[in-house]
Amino acid sequence: MHIQDLLKLIGVAIVVIGLALRLRTTLVVVVAALATGLVAGLPLFSHEGFFQHLPYLTKPGQTGIINTLGRAFADNRLMTLFIITLPAIGLAERYGLQEQSANLIRKIRAATVGRLQIVYQLFRALHGLMGIRLNGHPVFVRPLIFPMSVGAAQATGSAPRAVERGSIPTERLLATAFSSVPRAVASRSIPTKDSFATARGADPVERIKASNAAAENYGNFYGQNLSPVQAGILLVYGVMQGLGLTVGVWDLVRYTIPIVAASIILAIIQFSWLDRSLARTAEVKK
Amino acid sequence: MTASIFSSVFSLDAVYVLTGVALLIFALMTFADRSNSRRAGSGCFWFTLGIIFMFGSVAPHWLTGLLVLFLVALDGFGRVGRGSGETDPTAGDSQAEHARRLGNRIFIPVLAIPIVTFSFALVFRRLGMDVNRGALVGLGFGGLAAMFACLKLTGSDARTLMNEGRRLNEAMGAVNILPQLLASLGVIFTAAGVGSLIAQGIQQIIPANNLFLLVLANCLGMALFTIVMGNSFAAFPVIATGVLVPLIIKPFGVNPAMAAIITLTAGSSGTLMTPMAANFNIVPAALLNMGDQYGVIKFQSPYALTLWSFHVVLLWLLIKIS
Repeated sequence: MHIQDLLKLIGVAIVVIGLALRLRTTLVVVVAALATGLVAGLPLFSHEGFFQHLPYLTKPGQTGIINTLGRAFADNRLMTLFIITLPAIGLAERYGLQEQSANLIRKIRAATVGRLQIVYQLFRALHGLMGIRLNGHPVFVRPLIFPMSVGAAQATGSAPRAVERGSIPTERLLATAFSSVPRAVASRSIPTKDSFATARGADPVERIKASNAAAENYGNFYGQNLSPVQAGILLVYGVMQGLGLTVGVWDLVRYTIPIVAASIILAIIQFSWLDRSLARTAEVKK
Repeated sequence: MTASIFSSVFSLDAVYVLTGVALLIFALMTFADRSNSRRAGSGCFWFTLGIIFMFGSVAPHWLTGLLVLFLVALDGFGRVGRGSGETDPTAGDSQAEHARRLGNRIFIPVLAIPIVTFSFALVFRRLGMDVNRGALVGLGFGGLAAMFACLKLTGSDARTLMNEGRRLNEAMGAVNILPQLLASLGVIFTAAGVGSLIAQGIQQIIPANNLFLLVLANCLGMALFTIVMGNSFAAFPVIATGVLVPLIIKPFGVNPAMAAIITLTAGSSGTLMTPMAANFNIVPAALLNMGDQYGVIKFQSPYALTLWSFHVVLLWLLIKIS
């Protein structure tokens, strides 16, 4: 391998370092694309039209980086088609979509903490199947699933009463509701004085909180590939198309089913263990 | 004649134009939003994206490419943001009232989207046309059908409808175009020969006929890249061009759909274990007032490692038995 070849990896390095440093994602990706193309000796523009009269910018017989970028971006518009669904979903939200989802969650009658997490994970996988994308942490987990879990734990005697102190003001919940990844780091400093007063690790309430967030992530991550209108499926479809391989969106959905099944079975095992260890904690206390 | 009208109305281009129109309306509303201090930049961003949606199929590629650079520059200089004055409708008491009045009927418009998508795919299949295209065209018309259903159900007006769409769109912001940019990055990597370079590097370590080690390297690379970048969507184009397609799918004649989707979710295990995916792992710990900032990641890690191993074995087995 030549040095010239290794330099082509600069794009990979830019993406990895840029995202790790939390620089603006869109900018990092495009800079990586331009740098890779230039290092590989590709011209900025194709040798056609008035560009062929410009010095340095073109090379005969080679497609320009900007041309490739434009073609690929236009070819992959399908990945951003979900924008057409936003007005209906937004209006439905204004007329109680989330409130009604919350009503459904409140109807869950789960005997234990673990079973509640499993039902919630299935509920979130169902969202994926229906093509709805949302961040459930501020919408469902904090306001509903966590208090319901604490309630279930208290009913079985595995969590102390009055754990629910130091609740977070609603504005802050809403502020993080739809924030994108980079902005979200700002709220890293939230853990407050009274939260450090609680013990770590073995504390049952801490483990319940972690399981609430985990159930949301498990259901969201794996369930979303169950619908061909979701970003993950469209990304794979577009990238493979770009590599010259046509894959069926329904085939992608079909082959994700064993993964979703495994994600649910594993979760059942983990959440049952949680139930058992919470029960042990309760016995020790008695 | 009717056939050609049918195929141009129910085409992917029609759906792109429809989405472009929605984006242009969002843009005009943003320009008029006095509560948004960055309304000029934001308006330009959504307007330009709308133009690319409408004319992307006919505009010269160099022009689209330059418009993409313009979009990214706007975002890069922090000119894209949302207004502060809009009240979040989900916060008010009126939502509870509406929820009582409409009950589960509020799910009808939302469910219309997947139902119409699926129906279009079925009809396209019946007519012997591309099912993938059917699903994508169906998604567009599903969105449209959902808009009408929602207006009829709630008795609201078109202006509120589009404003709610704009609210959701601006809440997500410029990262909306990230999948498109990442796919483009993959194409440029291929054009520059980055994929074959990574493939050569791996071949120096792993023999080309050792399927299990190649599958292992594929899934490990996917998870590690995701852990570092915090985003499996960013890792996928790199791994797909460098490992999956040249070293597994092509030489072994593997079903690309199966291998690709399993590779993507092998990355999701990485997402569960990294603080870089702050929105999923760190913010929730803060929201729940946890003592340990990494509490969620610690809880998820054994699960993620087990599920990742399952991906490796499943991919290897499915290739073996086919």
